[in-house]
Amino acid sequence: MMKKSMKAKTLFLAAAAAALLAGCSGSSDSKDKTYTIGIGQFAAHGSLDNCREGFLLGLAEEGFVEGENLTVLYENSQADGGMASQIVTNFAAQKVDLICGIATPMAQTAYGVGKKQNIPVIYTAVTDPVAAELAGSDGAPVGEITGTSDKLPVRQQLEMIRAILPEARTIGILFTTSEVNSLSTIEEYKAAAPDYGFEIVDTGISATADVPLAADSLLEKVDCLTNLTDNTVVASLPVILDKAAKKNIPVFGSEIEQVKIGCLAAMGLDYIELGKQTGRMAAAVLRGEKKASEMNFEVIEEAAFYGNTKVAENLGLTFPKDLTSSAKEMFAEITQ
Amino acid sequence: MTLILGVLEEGLIYAVMALGVYITYKILDFPDLSVDSTFPMGAALTASALLAGMDPVLTLILSFAAGAAAGCVTGLIHVKLKVRDLLSGIIVMTGLYSVNLRLAGGRANVPVFNQDTIFENPFLADVIPALLSPYLMVLILFLIILICKVLLDLYLNTRSGYLLRAVGDNEALVTSLAKDKGMVKILGLAIANGFSALAGSIYCQHKGFFEISVGTGTIVIGLASVIIGIQLLCPENGVSLPSRLGLPQVRPTTAVIAGSVVYKACISLAISMGMEANDLKLITSILFLIILVVSTERRKKVKGLA
Repeated sequence: MMKKSMKAKTLFLAAAAAALLAGCSGSSDSKDKTYTIGIGQFAAHGSLDNCREGFLLGLAEEGFVEGENLTVLYENSQADGGMASQIVTNFAAQKVDLICGIATPMAQTAYGVGKKQNIPVIYTAVTDPVAAELAGSDGAPVGEITGTSDKLPVRQQLEMIRAILPEARTIGILFTTSEVNSLSTIEEYKAAAPDYGFEIVDTGISATADVPLAADSLLEKVDCLTNLTDNTVVASLPVILDKAAKKNIPVFGSEIEQVKIGCLAAMGLDYIELGKQTGRMAAAVLRGEKKASEMNFEVIEEAAFYGNTKVAENLGLTFPKDLTSSAKEMFAEITQ
Repeated sequence: MTLILGVLEEGLIYAVMALGVYITYKILDFPDLSVDSTFPMGAALTASALLAGMDPVLTLILSFAAGAAAGCVTGLIHVKLKVRDLLSGIIVMTGLYSVNLRLAGGRANVPVFNQDTIFENPFLADVIPALLSPYLMVLILFLIILICKVLLDLYLNTRSGYLLRAVGDNEALVTSLAKDKGMVKILGLAIANGFSALAGSIYCQHKGFFEISVGTGTIVIGLASVIIGIQLLCPENGVSLPSRLGLPQVRPTTAVIAGSVVYKACISLAISMGMEANDLKLITSILFLIILVVSTERRKKVKGLA
């Protein structure tokens, strides 16, 4: 008898709890529920910072505003793999609703931890999610993880270089041998270059300290340089730009920040846009409309033209009309 | 709870490596920087081996062997070529960076999310009840570290183990016993780097990928674990915490494992308190310095009294 009433009580309690929960989820739209997300960024540089900024903007557009209904935990691992893993573990411990992993190693770490704790992961600035095993070859996520890729528009970049430098024969690329993204992009460049009458000359480096020497030797052999999204090289870009300017060799960038600091031009990604796109995906997951596993990863289809007229002037070059007319943004000075 | 489990997992993985640093730093008095590269070496080798279809448990042994070989190289450079200890470690550390990239098939990042690992495989899925699964990783790690610790303790009590300890304390004694102290050093370095690579292998399987940057600062974590653990639980001079509490003495190996967990807990706490990851290295080094200074202070005092 006693036992029976206990059972009844438990049942009642469970039912009440369920009703309460149902009530909660029923009335919760993004306005009156607060969410916590953890943003883990692998390293600090302009492009990745822009990703993060865009990500928060994208979330805000969808009604998730930091400080209002969104708490944002942000950590940067300063390119330390061990630290990345502790950062994500901490996010998990604080029971975040979602983890945003910026750059490949952080995305992978977040996925490793997230899948154990059932926390969805949204990534951005992962050049090749398939090679990183975050998505299958059909683009479908491997688990509760999806996001955006910052794959470079290689062909459009080559087309632009051809338009600006009709005479050029060789393009030099500096890359870090330990960055997977760079390796796959170089392969793409090499495959596409002959179609535009170019030859690619690449020089691999292993650390920042190698940049000056490698740049010197590469500049001897090429008509122009183009950049990838290689973290080490991008971080040392001022050194390269300085050396190239002295030899009057144009350097093409891969995104807006690089053009600002002195690259001639870029058919590049707007990392803020990329971040926004990512933010919108995150919003869909937070609202519970879609699961991360139901969304394929996305890429930015359209590359935009960015040019720096000051650099062009220094090199004695002019941009073709049809490029400048379609430019997303032109810069008239070099910001240091 | 998640936090505690997370700290335990991280701490226990690095504890395997810290056991190695205990041998070099504490027993041999050899500041061995090669662990910074043997740790990712274990990870690189494991990633490649798993992709090639090797049994996850075998990769642990393979990694230990490869790490031991690298340790031998450090030892040979130091003993046979008479290069200073710190430099031999730096040489091996630098060279192994390239070797590690080669071992990983020329890639700096190799995911193994879809491979069986020691933590995720069909056997475990069958045997372990779902109720236990949140604790599974900690349990497996605990088992591994227990095996490592017991084996090391047993080894240190063998004839060869005694010689190892003697080399650190008094090289002349070893020579007077007609033993080659160089060989003993090489052996010690081999075991230490074997442990480091083993930890790297476990790390790779735990995280699901190899990344060339995982080795950054391994030696710092190792030294911090050894110093914290030893100072806290079994200082050479003075009364240890356990004996003050009336508990039995702990072995140094146990202390080192605890030290690793405590270190990771400190880092985790620092992050939770809103400390920026940017500042953590500085905090680590200050913590380090304080512990070192405090411990040498005490030693001086004891010497003064005697």
